[in-house]
Amino acid sequence: MKGAGGRKKLKYSTSRKLNGLIFMLPWLIGFVMFFAVPVKDTVLYSFNKVDVGDSGGIVLTFNGIQNYIDLFRSEVSTESQPLQRVLATENANIITNLPLIVIFSLFLAILANAKFPGRGIVRVIFFLPIVLGLSLIEEWAANSTGRSLIEAATGGMFGTQAVAGILLEYTFLPKSVIQFLSSVLDNIFQLFTKTGVQTLIFLAGLQSIDPALYEVAKMEGANSYDTFWKVTLPLLSNVLLFAVVYTLIDLFLNSSIAEEVYNFAFAKSKIGVGSALSVVYMANVLVVLGIVLLFLKAVNVIDKD
Amino acid sequence: MSLIKTKVIEKKKKAPRRRRKIDIRNIKIGKVITNLFLASLIIGICFAILYPILALLPMVFTDLRELGAPNSIWIPSVFGVNSFEFVFRSVLGGEPVILLQMLAYALSICAIQVFMSAMEGYALARTNFWGKNLVFFLVIFVFLVPRQSILITQYLHFKHFDVLGLISLIRGSDIDLINQPITLYLLAIFGFSVNQSLFIFIFRQAFLGMPKEIEEASLIDGAGFYRTYFRIMLPNVMPTILTVAVLSFVWAYGDTYYTNYFNTDGPYFAVIIDKTFKDANNWYITNQARAWFDTADTNELAFEALKQASIITFLTPLVLIYFIVQKKLVENLDRAGIVG
Repeated sequence: MKGAGGRKKLKYSTSRKLNGLIFMLPWLIGFVMFFAVPVKDTVLYSFNKVDVGDSGGIVLTFNGIQNYIDLFRSEVSTESQPLQRVLATENANIITNLPLIVIFSLFLAILANAKFPGRGIVRVIFFLPIVLGLSLIEEWAANSTGRSLIEAATGGMFGTQAVAGILLEYTFLPKSVIQFLSSVLDNIFQLFTKTGVQTLIFLAGLQSIDPALYEVAKMEGANSYDTFWKVTLPLLSNVLLFAVVYTLIDLFLNSSIAEEVYNFAFAKSKIGVGSALSVVYMANVLVVLGIVLLFLKAVNVIDKD
Repeated sequence: MSLIKTKVIEKKKKAPRRRRKIDIRNIKIGKVITNLFLASLIIGICFAILYPILALLPMVFTDLRELGAPNSIWIPSVFGVNSFEFVFRSVLGGEPVILLQMLAYALSICAIQVFMSAMEGYALARTNFWGKNLVFFLVIFVFLVPRQSILITQYLHFKHFDVLGLISLIRGSDIDLINQPITLYLLAIFGFSVNQSLFIFIFRQAFLGMPKEIEEASLIDGAGFYRTYFRIMLPNVMPTILTVAVLSFVWAYGDTYYTNYFNTDGPYFAVIIDKTFKDANNWYITNQARAWFDTADTNELAFEALKQASIITFLTPLVLIYFIVQKKLVENLDRAGIVG
């Protein structure tokens, strides 16, 4: 009897495994069709000269790392800058914006989590960037004449220039710091449009923290500063990791490197060089991500992967 | 605009109560100052988020003929909605049905994404199929690789679409799937539409967070694998479904990447706006506006105003949907299981 039961159990677990696989099957098919094969081809094309054959097919001629050499030696971006420069500026931008966006969305989430009258409306507004962060709207917000019209009309009274001027005049901050501050201020609207999803995630994380922990901290005499560093932040570490990864990927997706890939492949029809740039781009994202994760590990924000 | 007003009124209501407290016992001044500081901070942030939209309302609602009048900054000198009229006639081609088509597209992509990613998230969270950890790693990896980096080969792949040589065997040649709506649905069904790995991840976390007992009880009561999933597990992650559905809808509706490359002539609002309001079209658009609305000396601003009017039209359904679901979205947050 017991043996029969055991066999039945085994059979059940196998069928469960099978069912799980069936549920996963569409994704696995998609992975091969829409991801693995394209990635393989991209790497392959990057080492070949790609031409369109007479019958409309693709003809590959192996030419080693010639595409990579061309990419960095002779090709230029849409703004006729060398590609090293494009990669360097984009990476620098992303690395400076990453902590700003993450800290900012954490800050927004903490504000939205506090108890005050009118909280509902404030939360609605705080999550609006989910809608406003679409690339179409971002582009338009970046160069809208309407805004510059209004700024011109108010005489730039509250503009960044004025703020920078005041800071220079009345504080002893070094010029580079002020420059950085004013560039942040300049991009503040774009910064906001990037925070939607992260704020949502942080708020979910904050709400999942057991209120009893805060009470214990209060009983032990911790002030709100201590509570934040000793209770809130450690418990948010998982969410923080998620937010950092999401922000980084989102920033890379909207960087101008992506446009260059399109430009090489379709506008200049240099598929080989475009593929080489794609490989560089892919490697760039993964390397930066690795560095950021190592950094987070080093400062003990995350315990393990 | 009204949102900010209500906030200000609420703050005004609050202030006198606080002041009375200070009169009685002179100890809470520090707290009042912090509260005032926080209140102004919150109002300031709300303003900064809303500002880009508020800033263009006056321009969009100004009559096209009066654009650029020096004395109208915040209040339009001559109120007019002919920029919206233009959007309907030109961008939407005079048929509001197109707007419904666009919404229907986003809705169907959203439904497919939710259905598929919930299934895959469940498989990753609650079954132990062979190679599960590897598959989970691959899901994360797909999210990390920027989609543009495989654009070229994906494009060529769809241009000469074939499954293991089967299609060429039957039809004699491969199919060209570029500029076919089905390409976008194929991507969604097989899990590679906008940010779909993220949704799988969210669903996995949600299913992981559910107590095992519910599932076991259902299995002991004799429900099979599929019945348990559809009847018990799926209804229990309703908050997550809502969260994912909202994100998926918003991203599908606003997507200019997949729609632009794989079905560029389709009825997608974001793509149409993107194409219509290219800088190269400036002259054409302003002339059209001149012909239709008799704006004799239309200036550069007309182009900008028309673009912004079309973006407002584009945003309206999104914002409406967002306002309808936002309360549930926020209420459900702690149960949505986004948290690892």
